[in-house]
Amino acid sequence: MFRNLKVKTEPPQHGPLPGSIPVQQLVGDASLPVSVQTVNSLPENSKLRLYRTLIPVDLLAGAGINPRTWKDGEGVTRVAMDAAEGSGKLRLYAWAGEDPNDPFFELELSDNRFNGIDLNFLVLNDPAAEKFGIDKDENGALTHFGTVYRNLGEEERAMKAGLAPGQTRRGAGSSSEVFARLEAFLTTMAHQAYYLEPVSYVSAWVFERRGFAYVTGHKLMDTIHAEFKPGGTLYTALDGSTPFRQEQQAGTVRGRAWAIHDGILAAIDQRWDGLRMVKQIGRPAGVNTALDAPY
Amino acid sequence: MSNRYRLTRAAELESLTIFREFIANACREQGVDDDTTFGLRLAVDEACTNIIQHGYAGMDPGSIILDLRFEVDKVVVDLTDFGRAFEPAEPERPDLTAPAEERKEGGLGLFLIYETMDRIDYRVAPEGNILTFTKML
Repeated sequence: MFRNLKVKTEPPQHGPLPGSIPVQQLVGDASLPVSVQTVNSLPENSKLRLYRTLIPVDLLAGAGINPRTWKDGEGVTRVAMDAAEGSGKLRLYAWAGEDPNDPFFELELSDNRFNGIDLNFLVLNDPAAEKFGIDKDENGALTHFGTVYRNLGEEERAMKAGLAPGQTRRGAGSSSEVFARLEAFLTTMAHQAYYLEPVSYVSAWVFERRGFAYVTGHKLMDTIHAEFKPGGTLYTALDGSTPFRQEQQAGTVRGRAWAIHDGILAAIDQRWDGLRMVKQIGRPAGVNTALDAPY
Repeated sequence: MSNRYRLTRAAELESLTIFREFIANACREQGVDDDTTFGLRLAVDEACTNIIQHGYAGMDPGSIILDLRFEVDKVVVDLTDFGRAFEPAEPERPDLTAPAEERKEGGLGLFLIYETMDRIDYRVAPEGNILTFTKML
């Protein structure tokens, strides 16, 4: 036991750097974490066997894709894995149409510099649902899901159809299964937590319901909730000046998310930037920053 | 009745009242005496203040997770945060005899925690910085 504490100036490093964990660790002490980079150094088929557990079987089967072979009824490959040897990143994606760049499922994991795991990207769409072109501008250039550029016409259409910012199609409703699979996989890899950066207010709200807490941004979420209440600064800023700033949006998470996507946080000198969330494996944090606001 | 309780709130001073009430309610449910309840509230209050003012200093604050576990002979409190980690340092007992205006700022909080709790542990783990108090019943 110690008698005093002082703040450390540098974030802690937990264990060795991801790239320095040898593949032999897979047969070593099973309580020590293994990095994505280490798994990526396995033979291709070994990686495949491990990583394919991350994709919900029902999601693939519903799209007519064999979860074992990743091929459709015509024998065409519909799922791909990017997990190059030497890389600390894994990308899995599945597509139903002709274009692999229009996936209905996409998941990207990577090692972070603290010997932990980041979930960089997760897409879960209903492949049969209508596509909204929010991911490309009028000239076909990528908008990075509206985070860098915006296709305002398509975004307005998507909002009116009930989608959240960043969604190209209606969701597939499989996120709870994906997170359960991810936790099981990371437990296999002996990790105790994983991290992500919510791309939108809706994402953060969903991740709260999946048991995440905040590394940064919890206070901002509380502030957003308070300021969207009648009389609050954000409520007042829903002045009808754009299609994404209508008064009725204050009461729903999705409505707030579109206003935030439209830059309304400037009214409280904030930006949707720098939020980071953490999930302790097997332990939901029970955060709910938007208590009385429905989706 | 469960003997485990968990509450997560933003690392801001406004959350302290909520943590205090949460502890009081849990202790009441578990039949813990008033002196122990007071000590737990005081320790959590002081520790959370440290986390808010130092661990999350200069950051957009994240969460503090409060876990309470009631056992037959003790109460165990875990406070998890995701800010800057602390590290053990040599103790500096506050001079309680000096006039208030001459006392060194800070330091009293940790002193109070050590006075009221039976065991204190701290670990920095991938799932957060975890400060654990144990109060024997």
